[in-house]
Amino acid sequence: MPRPLGITSLQILAAIRDGVSYGLELVTETGLPSGTVYPTLGRMKSKGLVQARWEDGRIADEERRPRRRYYTLTPAGADALAEGAARHRSVAASLAPKTEGA
Amino acid sequence: MSTSGSSFARRFLRAIAWLVPASERASWLTEWENELTVLEGAKDRARSAYPTATTFVVGALPHALWMRKEDWTMSGLPQDIKYAFRVLARSPGFTAAAALTLALGIGANATIFSLVNGLLLSDPPGVHEPDRLVQIARSYDDAPRWDNWSWPALQTIRREARLFEGVAGYAGRSMTLGSGADAEQVAALMVTGDYFGLLGVQPAAGRLIGPADDTTPGAHPVVVLGHDLWVRRFGGDPGALGDVVQVAGDAYEVVGIAPPRFAGVEVFAPPPQLFLPASMYPPFRGLLPFDEWGWSWIQAFGRLAEGVPFEQAEASMDVVGNVLRAADPVNEDVRVLVASGVGLDPEERDEARLVGGLLGGVALLVLLLTCASVANLFVARATTRQVEMGVRLALGAGRARLVRQLVVESLVLGLLAAGIATVPLMLGAGALPSLLPYMVSAPFTPDARVFGSLIVLGLLSGLLFGGAPSIAAAKRDVAGTLRRAGSTGGDGSTRLRDGLVALQLTLSLGLLASAALLGSSILNALRADPGFEPRGLLAVYVDLEGTGRYDGESTTAFGEALAREASGLPGVVSAAVASQAPFLAGFARSTTGPADRPNDPSVEVEAEAVFVTEGYFESMGIPVLRGRALRSSAAEPQPVAVVNESLARRFWPGEDAIGKELTGEVPIRVVGVVGDVQGRSLRARAAPAVYRPLAASFNQRLALITRTPGEPLSLAPPVRELVARLDPGLPVLATEDVHARMAASLGTTRIIATLVAGFAGLALLLSVVGLYGLVSFTVSHRIREMGIRIALGAAPSGLVGLVLRRVLGVTLVGMLAGIVLAIALGKALEGVLFGITPSNPWVFAAATVVLLTACVVAAWIPARRAGRLDAMVSLRQ
Repeated sequence: MPRPLGITSLQILAAIRDGVSYGLELVTETGLPSGTVYPTLGRMKSKGLVQARWEDGRIADEERRPRRRYYTLTPAGADALAEGAARHRSVAASLAPKTEGA
Repeated sequence: MSTSGSSFARRFLRAIAWLVPASERASWLTEWENELTVLEGAKDRARSAYPTATTFVVGALPHALWMRKEDWTMSGLPQDIKYAFRVLARSPGFTAAAALTLALGIGANATIFSLVNGLLLSDPPGVHEPDRLVQIARSYDDAPRWDNWSWPALQTIRREARLFEGVAGYAGRSMTLGSGADAEQVAALMVTGDYFGLLGVQPAAGRLIGPADDTTPGAHPVVVLGHDLWVRRFGGDPGALGDVVQVAGDAYEVVGIAPPRFAGVEVFAPPPQLFLPASMYPPFRGLLPFDEWGWSWIQAFGRLAEGVPFEQAEASMDVVGNVLRAADPVNEDVRVLVASGVGLDPEERDEARLVGGLLGGVALLVLLLTCASVANLFVARATTRQVEMGVRLALGAGRARLVRQLVVESLVLGLLAAGIATVPLMLGAGALPSLLPYMVSAPFTPDARVFGSLIVLGLLSGLLFGGAPSIAAAKRDVAGTLRRAGSTGGDGSTRLRDGLVALQLTLSLGLLASAALLGSSILNALRADPGFEPRGLLAVYVDLEGTGRYDGESTTAFGEALAREASGLPGVVSAAVASQAPFLAGFARSTTGPADRPNDPSVEVEAEAVFVTEGYFESMGIPVLRGRALRSSAAEPQPVAVVNESLARRFWPGEDAIGKELTGEVPIRVVGVVGDVQGRSLRARAAPAVYRPLAASFNQRLALITRTPGEPLSLAPPVRELVARLDPGLPVLATEDVHARMAASLGTTRIIATLVAGFAGLALLLSVVGLYGLVSFTVSHRIREMGIRIALGAAPSGLVGLVLRRVLGVTLVGMLAGIVLAIALGKALEGVLFGITPSNPWVFAAATVVLLTACVVAAWIPARRAGRLDAMVSLRQ
């Protein structure tokens, strides 16, 4: 992994892990602008962290809505999320006020 | 979400979809459109959680751009660009030669574009919604003209023009600012009270002139300073507000500062530095009745009321015309002309379009020529890069990939050249105003549009010069290329080089012939006979109006004293004062007819009205054909006139004009007939003219005309001293050699001639370099063959002939095509030529001889090398 994932990417990865699975839903769930969400998805897709697939047209027809493009985590994506979360936890810990002496 | 909004969102998505790489475009568009559908359908349920459709689809742009960038990165475009820079840096000589050549071509085009941009495309700075402004001009039924209005006419238009938010007037004048030692002459603009309001101009400080400043003649001594003047003379000090300054000898209070760069609404005018209320127009104080219909001095424009189309306003002017015609007999055949926009009047626009079109066309030829030169360099270099290309092909690079690499190199070079071209652009744009026959209100400073044109030109020329050679270079077969390893040319690339050099010669000959035609026109203009003797004449302008100190009587007295004193100056043969000087400004016309047939519109004519002192015809060298010349005003107690031949022939054909009378308040008796004079333009036929004593004039601008056997401009200093002696505060506006002005009266021919001559010189240089290169290339690439020939006993002169014969074909083809191009260019230039037909054979002969001589020299120098070859040395190579 050349560059650690930023907070935005991690937010999106976490949302996908939690079952938020297509673009518009990611936009509403994360509160990030669409101009951030889609390029980030694209970047993570080309890094192999997420996969994209078009849903079966029949399901969409049954539910009387347009087809969705679903994003899912790859194993590499799950690892990256775990690594990123750990890194941010340690950063958060280092930012907490330290108790002097002992 | 409204339907129109959603359809906008969809249109937006489709519009930016082309940014997305083709392989992913369909999928990208479906994803965005589908989610947009959901978003729009979610009206009632989760609407609050969703962004608006517009906010949502705006994000599609960064997404599309990102995918485009990814595609380029994946396909190695950044590497191509990096590699292009490396390749160009590796051969700095080649890069410099190519970039500099191109920069000249690109700079030439961008310079011409900045001219067109400045004249036709730019809006007047500081003006709000210039699209709704309309010029309103006075004309007559017989010949359309763009003329000024009288004060009462302007008021009538104002009242009657109901489809306009308002109608304002302005008049440019040169006025004296300050007094004594720090007096200076500045461009002033007399403006009506609604001028600034209608233009929507905001002051830089203080206030501008408003309606309250323009009600009673002579009662509003307030002035607004131009920004430049304020900075120059007052150091940009806001304390200047409230100061009292002397303008034209009167005290004015400074009430405001105009915004920077605001220069009125006229392109062809000096940038105004003082703005005064029109009611302060100096002649209103005593000289000119406020309601004088016969004195037209003010220009008008209006702002269309919101939502009124121009055509409707134009049609409504017929009514205004009727009111004007009914108002005063002077307006009998007056017509109101309107034109959308301000800046240039329609006649000037036509001229600017003609000049811009001609120069733009010529500049494109120059660009084509520079591209041919650089393409030539590229082809030459391609032969030295054959090995590199061969190796890359052998290693499996696709041909398309190689072509792209070469095209990227061309584009990088094109952009580099565009960057360098800013230098010729800045120099060219800076020099343009001095080449124009008129003053311009704003310099042609290149703006974003002009710099944008540099980039477009750079990319365009990159494609032009890089395209063909790149494809030719990548077409070669691998094995053959590697085997030959750059030893010989002699295939497609040679033919391409021949073609490019022939193209250069064609363009050069066309440009040289055009330059010769234009140069001859200027020379013809200098030799033309305008009906008077222009050589040895100096014209000096003084403006009494700007001082505000003269009335009609003292103007005449000053003019006659000036003429009398000037004739006594050493070196002066004769001198006179007139209301106008030939080929300079200050022309006046008035309607006149024969008194024996009053009000016969078929004979009446708008004659040029010239007011002169005694000795005018003698000084000008205008022959008095019958009768006598005019005497001094005091010696002419009766109303008398001298007319020119055209007028005499029109009014009294076959009769003697002497003793006949012209219409006027009282009949004016004709006492003499003089020859016709072309005093405005060499192209226009002489107009009917009436000469009257100076005392009959309203005009307070006087031209002193002095004749000397020597150099006219040498009289300028003593004449200035004389003016200073007669009236120490009176500025001299212009001192001009009339003969030089006569050539300049060809107007735009001069700027076209100057630029085309420059372009032709550049073309000649480039094609000579191209030919030299071609011959050197031929010699060096056939060096082994020549060695063999020498070894077998060929004479050195034979070898030189061998080289030259090959070049001869190229030269002949190029020249023949050049003659065809020259004829076509000549036809296009016909309108600006003077005294020469576009197909003049001598011009073609001269251009051909010049080019041929240059070619022979360019070919002979390298060809000589062939004759000096040493057989052993060349065989070993």
